Amino acid sequence: MHISFLIHNGYGIGGTIRTTYNLASTLAEHHDVEVVSVFRHREEPVFAPSPKVRLRHLVDIRQGTPGYEGDHPDYRRPAKFFPASEGRYQQYSALTDRRIAEHLASVEADVVVGTRPGLNVHLARQTRRGPLRVGQEHLTLDSHSPQLRHELRGAYPRLDALTTTTEADARAYHTKMRLPGVHVEAVPNPVPAPALSPADGTAKWVVAAGRLAPVKRYDLLIKAFDKVRAERPDWRLRIYGGGKQKDKLRTLIDKLGLYNHVFLMGPASPIEPEWAKGSIGAVTSSLESFGMTIVEAMRCGLPVVSTDCPHGPGEIIDDGVDGRLVKVGSVPAIANGLLELINDDELRLRMADAALRDAERFDPTRIAERYESMFATLTARGGSTAAGRMRGTLHRTRGALLGGAYAVRDAGLSVLRKGHIA
Amino acid sequence: MMSLATPSAEDQHSGKDPVPPRADCVAESAGGLTFDVTGITETDEAHLVLRARDEETEVRLPLTPVDGGRLRAALPNGVHLPEGRWDVYAQVADGEPRRLVPGLNDLRALVDRSADGERTAVRIPYVTKHGNLSLRSWLRAPHAEAGELRVGERELVVRGRVHGTTLTEQAHAELRGRSESAPVMRAEVSGRDTEFAVTVPYGTLTPDVWDLWLCPTGGSGPAVRVARLLDDIVDKKPIFTYPQVSAETPRGAMAVQASYTADNDLSVTVTAA
Repeated sequence: MHISFLIHNGYGIGGTIRTTYNLASTLAEHHDVEVVSVFRHREEPVFAPSPKVRLRHLVDIRQGTPGYEGDHPDYRRPAKFFPASEGRYQQYSALTDRRIAEHLASVEADVVVGTRPGLNVHLARQTRRGPLRVGQEHLTLDSHSPQLRHELRGAYPRLDALTTTTEADARAYHTKMRLPGVHVEAVPNPVPAPALSPADGTAKWVVAAGRLAPVKRYDLLIKAFDKVRAERPDWRLRIYGGGKQKDKLRTLIDKLGLYNHVFLMGPASPIEPEWAKGSIGAVTSSLESFGMTIVEAMRCGLPVVSTDCPHGPGEIIDDGVDGRLVKVGSVPAIANGLLELINDDELRLRMADAALRDAERFDPTRIAERYESMFATLTARGGSTAAGRMRGTLHRTRGALLGGAYAVRDAGLSVLRKGHIA
Repeated sequence: MMSLATPSAEDQHSGKDPVPPRADCVAESAGGLTFDVTGITETDEAHLVLRARDEETEVRLPLTPVDGGRLRAALPNGVHLPEGRWDVYAQVADGEPRRLVPGLNDLRALVDRSADGERTAVRIPYVTKHGNLSLRSWLRAPHAEAGELRVGERELVVRGRVHGTTLTEQAHAELRGRSESAPVMRAEVSGRDTEFAVTVPYGTLTPDVWDLWLCPTGGSGPAVRVARLLDDIVDKKPIFTYPQVSAETPRGAMAVQASYTADNDLSVTVTAA
């Protein structure tokens, strides 16, 4: 199969980029895979996909290079096609409108995959007849403005499939958007096994990692650790990540006199060796669209104590088995969750083993298989031929299959979800 | 085991520059380091070269083949490595040494490390701001490791542990001001065996940067710079930070701030508030 990803900027840093490269690299073991980056702002990508993945760009914004197009008149003109309600709208232009349209009108692929809403709109409306059109939602429907949701409602029915990172978000798309004939499926983000041995559970450290942003609620974690310290002064907390909340959190640590127990470590990349220094992971967010850090920590052998916030944590953690879900926003609940694992070595080690085992379902090979089977099913269903498919026919056929197909899939996934398949 | 989407220092797609050799670094709790180097295709004799920043010193360690096409070098704790920053290279035969880029640094064994023996040798691998692999080394004999600090309203208490010596009845601490003609002020030390606690009352301090020294066996013995070395963090200053306090002294109001220096030694900065 020839699979072509369309990404905002494959040369930068970010969760979507890493996730896309992990998936693309794994699919490239058996398929012909390219990643098309709308922008290229630097010579080398920060993260490199496997050498089997071809990486190319549509608009060159490398300052001082012969190909530089930042001074192109159309680059200054606002985009007309890319939705104005999309978060990245300001970066798009008449030039990107044209280049993306040209790319999609001529793309040599069996499957085209979009990686953000604005690009999915391009993909849904402008892909030449033939390839499967698959949109990925890396955030959540609820995080989009009403204007953007309206825009997506108009465009997404032209997709063949839409993937979300959680079942909760897939349900939101089912209930809040009318997408007849569009296959909506939750496929979690792939997280590779770390290239170092898992934590052994003896270090008296709790580890958290993420942007120091208000949504992560590290203030709650620090306050909870004040309670932990009172009972177990031998345990300490490291928070990895940078962000605007740093000074505020620093002040809180000093105010509580926790400067010997709670440390703001700054950003770390790669993060896996830092997880391996701890025995418990902590997530205290009010919202996690997926919960990548939870999976990363579990793959390093850490059970995670997480708030049961929308959307991801509850779908990743099997409460009491491979981690602990606690009440959102509650300092005592977070502290009790941490202390439960701190005070019971046997429980903690048992959960650590379960976390390692259960997190295998996020391995890129497993996630790539889910995409492969989705692509294969949709291709078969659409009866794709060399002559190209009739989209109208395809939609009617899939509309008829819809009810039964979803019922089967939902049942299958609820079992798969916690990795309880024998 | 897969390692996908790893940070790349070079563009693998442009084909312009060869990918530089990469080292995964594993630390042992005794302080030894192992370097696993990938990206060297030549089969001639290879060495890992540690090159000091500020002098012409070089330490050469043989790189020997191990499984998976890797070359391995070991830097045992016993190898003498003077204090300082060391850039890490790989050299094949007499070729030009190639700077190594960092892979995975597994330093978990350094966290909460407890050193024993006469000499405390610490080596922490780190990534430079240009993305290269370097090594910071410390060598102290004896050594006074700072642990928890308590920043009180009237005094600062520094708890810690000595390595390579034990405390005697005569133990005391010294605060040495950095400005010319600054006095050496004594501070009280409590504790026994290897555990110590230095109490620094704010009232005696004047505006200056005061370096904290410990004399475990009194004035006749060695003075040991109090430092924090025994973990995985190469630069303590931004991570081990302490609240600033304002103190009334006979010379007026002062702002007192404990912090680590660029060498991870402990100092107290006093400014007129």
